Amino acid sequence: MIGSSPIIAEQRYGRGLEDLVAGDTAISEIDGRAGRLLYRGYPIEDLVGRVSFEETAYLVLFGEMPDDSQLENWSAELERWRDPPQAALDALRSVPRNAHPLAQFRTMMTVAACHIPEPENTELDAQWRRPARILSWTAALAARAIRHLEGADLVPPRDDLGYAANFLHQATGRTSSTEETTAFEASLVVQAEHGLHAAAFAALVVISTGADLGSAVLAGMGALSGARHGGANQLAFEMLEQLNGPGTARQWAREALARRLRFPGFGHRVYKCPDPRVRALEPYAEALLDANGDGRLWNTYLALREEIEGALGAKGIFANVDSITGLIYHPIGLPVSAFPIPFCLAIQTGWMAHCLEYLPDGKVIAPGAVYIDPTA
Amino acid sequence: MTKLRTLSSGFDWRAAKIDWPVTTDVGPGLAGVVAAETRVMWLDPSSGELAYRGVAVDSLAGRADFEEVAHLLIAGKGPGNDPRGLAEFRRQVRSSRALPRDVIELIGALDPDTHPTRMLRAGVSAVGCHELTVDDDLSGERQWRELRVVGQTAALVSAICHHRAGSEPSEAEPGCSLAEGMLAALNDRPPTADEVRALDLLWVLSAAHGLDPPTFTSMIVASCLADPYYNIVAGLSALRGPKTGGAAETVLDQLLPLRDPFEAEAWVARTLADGGVIAGFGHHAYRMPDPRVVVLRKEAASMARAHGRRELFEVARTVEVAATRALAPRGVYINVNFYGALLFNLLGAEPPLVPCLIAIGRMAGTAALVREALDGIRLYRPLSRYVGPAERRFESDGTS
Repeated sequence: MIGSSPIIAEQRYGRGLEDLVAGDTAISEIDGRAGRLLYRGYPIEDLVGRVSFEETAYLVLFGEMPDDSQLENWSAELERWRDPPQAALDALRSVPRNAHPLAQFRTMMTVAACHIPEPENTELDAQWRRPARILSWTAALAARAIRHLEGADLVPPRDDLGYAANFLHQATGRTSSTEETTAFEASLVVQAEHGLHAAAFAALVVISTGADLGSAVLAGMGALSGARHGGANQLAFEMLEQLNGPGTARQWAREALARRLRFPGFGHRVYKCPDPRVRALEPYAEALLDANGDGRLWNTYLALREEIEGALGAKGIFANVDSITGLIYHPIGLPVSAFPIPFCLAIQTGWMAHCLEYLPDGKVIAPGAVYIDPTA
Repeated sequence: MTKLRTLSSGFDWRAAKIDWPVTTDVGPGLAGVVAAETRVMWLDPSSGELAYRGVAVDSLAGRADFEEVAHLLIAGKGPGNDPRGLAEFRRQVRSSRALPRDVIELIGALDPDTHPTRMLRAGVSAVGCHELTVDDDLSGERQWRELRVVGQTAALVSAICHHRAGSEPSEAEPGCSLAEGMLAALNDRPPTADEVRALDLLWVLSAAHGLDPPTFTSMIVASCLADPYYNIVAGLSALRGPKTGGAAETVLDQLLPLRDPFEAEAWVARTLADGGVIAGFGHHAYRMPDPRVVVLRKEAASMARAHGRRELFEVARTVEVAATRALAPRGVYINVNFYGALLFNLLGAEPPLVPCLIAIGRMAGTAALVREALDGIRLYRPLSRYVGPAERRFESDGTS
């Protein structure tokens, strides 16, 4: 919608396009002062724990909650693409084991993209097929990358499991408990869309050139792979893991605050208040950690959050979603270096929704650069 | 606070400094938005004037080779100013063309009819897995600075040429230039001096051109502190779009089947009457012919003569004249892809390889911009205005 919808013709903005309103969207509403996130008008608190990731993806992509038959068709389409091209799975044999898991994932995706028919046909169901294929292929490839870290092979998908449960099954090689699946699904639901964050914006720039949806998603993955973006949940968890209990956490936080260090997982460009995704996920993380006898880690998180928010909350710095997701992925048994992967799987839904919304406008996105002239 | 009338022709996109936040015009496609400050390159969209590190591109075209210009862009030192640095840079970028065996095999396992840009993405990704492991500095400062990414990409494009032709992959001679190595892979014979000069010219002219979508995509990805190979995969994803580098391929798809100027003339008339598009014409921002066209047209003419393909040049020239006559009154002019694509083809590149070849040149400018930005770059994160449904309650029976 950046292309042709009404654009505010004169704007004031900062570096990194901070505060620039790039265009209109009907996908999500983010209120950074009230701390609210709504998908197509539904507050995420209403959705989390009550709808599946499949339903959320349908809502985000196509604008409405699916009815029973729409959901059945959409789920069937997602299931249909659970087996990515064998060549993509085999691509891992050509990369060193000590490559970053996200780089391995990337290599499989780029090989998989070589197997998307070209030109993509324009049959009616293509609008469904393209996002469904991407959502399901990436889940299988991500699971393969995670299994590879453990030196294990990918287990086949299970027809009786939905998107979230099947991913966990394929990634961990075991059947997850209901609590694990529910918590993981909740993490996918609240991370399915988040406006024009850097990765969504990168995807939109790519789609604006007339490129295919898979290319746009790859660009989004590129942005998300960065330490400052999707990698932040890994860094946030590593920080927490090094702190030995709530007492140490409080003491370390005070020292770090005095030295004005930055904390991964805290602060957000848009939210200057508690991140609604954090509040939605905390009960799930607490329950999982408790069940695992890991209440100490939970208390460490709480202590750290209280210290940091107590000191910096007045400046608008609060825990963001990256501080909490690791506390779900860790008890489920995902390796730390793979934490960014579930975020990728969920948030690509939003990128694709923005791309599909943008397509009819079609104007190429190309801002300018000012040459800083040493002679001027 | 700086206020800039960026969409008026009085603004030439140069300033001594920018005081953030800035107030500017904002047009469709974010035209007029200041998304970067740079010392690497200057492009004035209203005149098409282009300079690298303060040196007008006109004065580089045909005089400096691609490696010299890449060194100028990345290190900020002009040809002649730093002969030792340049020699070292040449050695580095040329030696980065040695690819891991696994990567060659990964490409060899793909269907040779896969679009080369897709094969290149897979190859770049795989190279990145070898180049940077979990223990390395993932910012890839060295890979950008030494332009290893450019040498590696050139080597991958060579491997893709061999794979498409069904010939044995062979590594470029370590001493030969990037252009020499590429031409040898394209044509399976040692290149002539004129061919080398022409490819260098093409790469020099495509090395940087503002924040077009592939470059801007790379800047966004860099702002997230992603590794260079993720960055290049993202940039390549944008480059092939039909409205960017992909258009160069379409130019050839349109020109090559036309047998003579009469057919060309008729084709232009028919295409425009049917509301079709003549590839190589029109630009999202410019309302003038791209100044780089002049030197490319001249070079294409002489290369066509040298290769016994004058008819092809005549066809192109006819299309240019007929399309300009019809489109110029609507503000649509010839762009760099038209003769650029033709010249790449005369140098031995089949149409789908052209976006890959453009990518090699462009990567020099992108690397320079990214490297310059890495120190203080701020995450790109604009906002959107919500115009969707009003807040509604979700009832768990599925109705709302």
